[in-house]
Amino acid sequence: MTRFLTLTINGLANGAILAITALGFVLIYKATEVINFAQGQFLLVGAYMVYNANQTWGLPWPVAVAVGVGCGVLLGLAIERLILRRMIGESALSVIMVTIGLASAMSGVVLGVWGAGGRRGPSFIPSGSVHLVGDVSVAANRIWAVGVATVVLIAVGLFFQRSRHGVAMRAVADDQQAAMVQGINVNRVFAMAWALAGATGAIGGVLLASIAGSYGPEIEGFAIFVFPVVILGGLDSVLGTVVGGVIVGLLVEYSKSYLTVSWSVILPFAALVAILLVKPYGLFGQVRIERV
Amino acid sequence: MATATGVYHTTYRKDLALRHTRAEYVRLGLLAALAVWLPFNLNPYWLGYANLILLAAIAAVGLNILTGYTGLISLATAGFLGVGAYTAANLTTFYHWPMPVAVLVATLLAAAIGALFGLPALRLKGLYLAISTFAAQEILSDRFRDWKWLVRGHGTVTTSYPTIGGHPFKSTFEWYWLLLVITGLVVLAGINLFRTGLGRAFIAIRDQDIAAEVMGVPVGRYKVLAFSIACGLAGFSGALQAYYPTTQTVTWENYEIGRSFIFVAMIIVGGLGSISGAVYGAIFMTWVPAYITRIGQTLQRSSLHVLIEKLSAVQLTLFGLVLVGFLLVEPRGLARLWQRAKDYFRIWPFRY
Amino acid sequence: MNRFARKLALPLCIALLLGAACGKDKKSPAASKGATKEDVKIGAIFDLSGATADIGTPYADGIKDYVEYKNASGGVDGHKLALSWQDYKYDPTLATQLYGQYVSEGAKVFMGWGTGDTEALRPKVNADKIPFMSASNAETLTDPSVTPYNFFPGASYSQQMRIILQYISDQNKGKHVEVAVFHHDSPFGTSPLEDGKKYITDKKLDIGFKDYAMPKGATDYVAQIGQATAQKAKYIIIQNVPSPAAVLATNLASAKSTAQVVCLNYCANEIFVKKAGAAAEKMIGVVPFAPPVAGLPGLEDINNFLKAKNTDAAAKGQGYVQGWYTMASMVEGIKNALDAGGSLTGEAIKAGLEKIKDFKTGVSDPINFSSTFHAGLLSAPLYQVVGGQFKKIQDPIKVEK
Repeated sequence: MTRFLTLTINGLANGAILAITALGFVLIYKATEVINFAQGQFLLVGAYMVYNANQTWGLPWPVAVAVGVGCGVLLGLAIERLILRRMIGESALSVIMVTIGLASAMSGVVLGVWGAGGRRGPSFIPSGSVHLVGDVSVAANRIWAVGVATVVLIAVGLFFQRSRHGVAMRAVADDQQAAMVQGINVNRVFAMAWALAGATGAIGGVLLASIAGSYGPEIEGFAIFVFPVVILGGLDSVLGTVVGGVIVGLLVEYSKSYLTVSWSVILPFAALVAILLVKPYGLFGQVRIERV
Repeated sequence: MATATGVYHTTYRKDLALRHTRAEYVRLGLLAALAVWLPFNLNPYWLGYANLILLAAIAAVGLNILTGYTGLISLATAGFLGVGAYTAANLTTFYHWPMPVAVLVATLLAAAIGALFGLPALRLKGLYLAISTFAAQEILSDRFRDWKWLVRGHGTVTTSYPTIGGHPFKSTFEWYWLLLVITGLVVLAGINLFRTGLGRAFIAIRDQDIAAEVMGVPVGRYKVLAFSIACGLAGFSGALQAYYPTTQTVTWENYEIGRSFIFVAMIIVGGLGSISGAVYGAIFMTWVPAYITRIGQTLQRSSLHVLIEKLSAVQLTLFGLVLVGFLLVEPRGLARLWQRAKDYFRIWPFRY
Repeated sequence: MNRFARKLALPLCIALLLGAACGKDKKSPAASKGATKEDVKIGAIFDLSGATADIGTPYADGIKDYVEYKNASGGVDGHKLALSWQDYKYDPTLATQLYGQYVSEGAKVFMGWGTGDTEALRPKVNADKIPFMSASNAETLTDPSVTPYNFFPGASYSQQMRIILQYISDQNKGKHVEVAVFHHDSPFGTSPLEDGKKYITDKKLDIGFKDYAMPKGATDYVAQIGQATAQKAKYIIIQNVPSPAAVLATNLASAKSTAQVVCLNYCANEIFVKKAGAAAEKMIGVVPFAPPVAGLPGLEDINNFLKAKNTDAAAKGQGYVQGWYTMASMVEGIKNALDAGGSLTGEAIKAGLEKIKDFKTGVSDPINFSSTFHAGLLSAPLYQVVGGQFKKIQDPIKVEK
């Protein structure tokens, strides 16, 4: 029972971070139909910028986090403006390749500036153990991670439902031409999508680094699980990323502990394929109606 | 089309020919001459890379058939390289089968497993299918790591120099000729595929699979067949690599997802939907990182110490930037770039 | 878009052509250092950005600095050392290519690193007769009848495992004890497992032994800890490099685990202590090459050398000291070969290495090689982290297989 609870909380925490990362991915896809393979690097750059701001420049941690998020936003904007805008209209695979190239370049820059060894960084959320029921002790930072992630996700959800810009984004995702006819500046929406992706990436990266206790290259490796999450939830559904994140996070933890490490890789992917065969567009994805 | 004006085909035979004009035959001749001249004039270091390019081209051609011509994205190439490598290595090292037979069996096994992992293509499309191939890759790479019987507990399997028809293939030089012939045949087979009805069916599936179904193309069966062909070729490449002098030790670390991405990069940079593009892409993706490494090593002999410490970082960054830059210039890849170059000279001094 | 494309096309073509031209050049010979005696060429690969870079980087510095130190005092019998090295990112294919390249450029000996790539290179190293000293301490590299040209100066991972299992058994006489071994997910990690299990059965120790893999890139090990807790493990032995080991230790502390953490040589160092912080307290390390605590005899030369660079051995760390003395052992072998008369061939250097007896480093027991055993040490002391510093708790233990 102890084990089950620990694993559940761990899985939820990882799932929450996955959901935030996947959120950025889904935002970009929904607005621009671009599949961003560099999302992991957004996590990485964001986390390292926060580390830098706090450790190297000595800024207090809330300011450091703001700096990190700001850098994420700038990065997203820069990529959209300088590179993706020139690729409008090209084949989807070419655009994917461009994002892969960007991912490689960003990894290289991070490697060059900060080196390969992870840095032991400050945790921005309280660490230490929290005593729950019986003799279940979990790391406090995981519970905080779930909390922070929930707040962010709700904020983004509200943004899409209530604010003008959020509604404009949904309009563009639905039908670009109709949105343009309505007077929505599609370019600006694209920029916003990338900026938001950069920002959520930075938050996800900081959370991950805080939990792991180190700012290192594993952060970008974590993002490889974003794809199963996104596919499971549906490429264009925000709710889907939350559900997908939780499912994948929990599945991985349970299988790692109750089975073996290898199963923790196979099981989520096998489950993914199984679910896809029943629901080809993910759990909450929009079913594509193809016309010939 | 980059052929001369005034070329008219009067028979079906001429229409289907691989080369239509004298200029094209001359270019082909030059290429053949270059291929023959290379091994005598490259130092062994670069000849080794030429061999690696030829090996990679086999898998790249397969992948291009699947992704470029049939429109199904696959991220599992590295896994099938591994299937081929482990099968061939196991058969020769533990069961002492002759190398050509082992390679053949490895190819067929990879094709069969590829068909199995291609079954989701019957239901999934686009990125969803890509992720299911991602799943296949992770499953395969995980099995390589976990199944101890594949390596009989040693951690890796090592093969020795293959002997084909009594002649041992030990040196880079000998391997070059073997690989040149094999890759040449594979490329020829690939080009020929698209002169047949099956090839045209693949293209129809890529363009509009529902319409293709309506026209009578058995879409489901052909999609699985495309997977089979691509994975079989990847297995073939992997099996050959298991005998190649610098990669004689088969270890699971070589068959991970990163390598699959490199192959996808190969066909995109080379040009989707073009067999020669697959070869160009293989050249680009193998040679550029090697060249950057070479620059780094030359710099090491000078005193730019800072750069040397950060060499890996510089390599990674430079490589990513080259990729991005290249795609911004020509998103349709090297094949299209070559096409444009030929057109430019053909139409010169006119602009179009 | 058109103008942009055209602006790039020309430089791109020129770059490609230049590249193609450069590709066909023959390799130019490395410039001699101006000495009248021929340089001894050494090839080396390091992990500076891959999975084991945290400990690979100081190790690389140790090797490079030793070469610099030796050359500053005239080299080996007047021959200067010429080191060619590159970061191979823990990629076995790149390792093989670099090995081939350096050997074709005239390297007489090779300094390797990781278990996976050293084992992959074994057949080549034997065929080329290149003495190969690796940072990998895998037992499979110690038998000259299988790998005549592989050496390493430390105690093998299997030997370290036997040492700690014996210690655990002695500390818990008469009681059954469960041991959980967490290991790197690679040949390096799995190296000591089978030999550990065999030692338990051979010596009839009352120890339950279970192993858990620590996958690459994992951000936490809570799941595996759950399994170890279910096993009721009293000791957790870590066969890994310091960064993942530190994450594991932090996870253990959060879960308020009472198990004793033991590190084999590659995570028992100051990097682990720094990264794990409070969670590193009380860790016991099996350290054939001891951590550079004050007062260790072998640190004098190093400290003198580093004074000019405004640092000292303690700051550089255990990995640095280990790298230093690894290179020193190889150079000792080269010296023996030169003293024995004349030509510097692979066989001569191998014989020179096998002649090394009682080579004192000060940071470890004396190193011995022989024609029947190619690991330098059979014993290791135990150190424990107390108040963030390493303290010796057990003099070198030596066990028989």
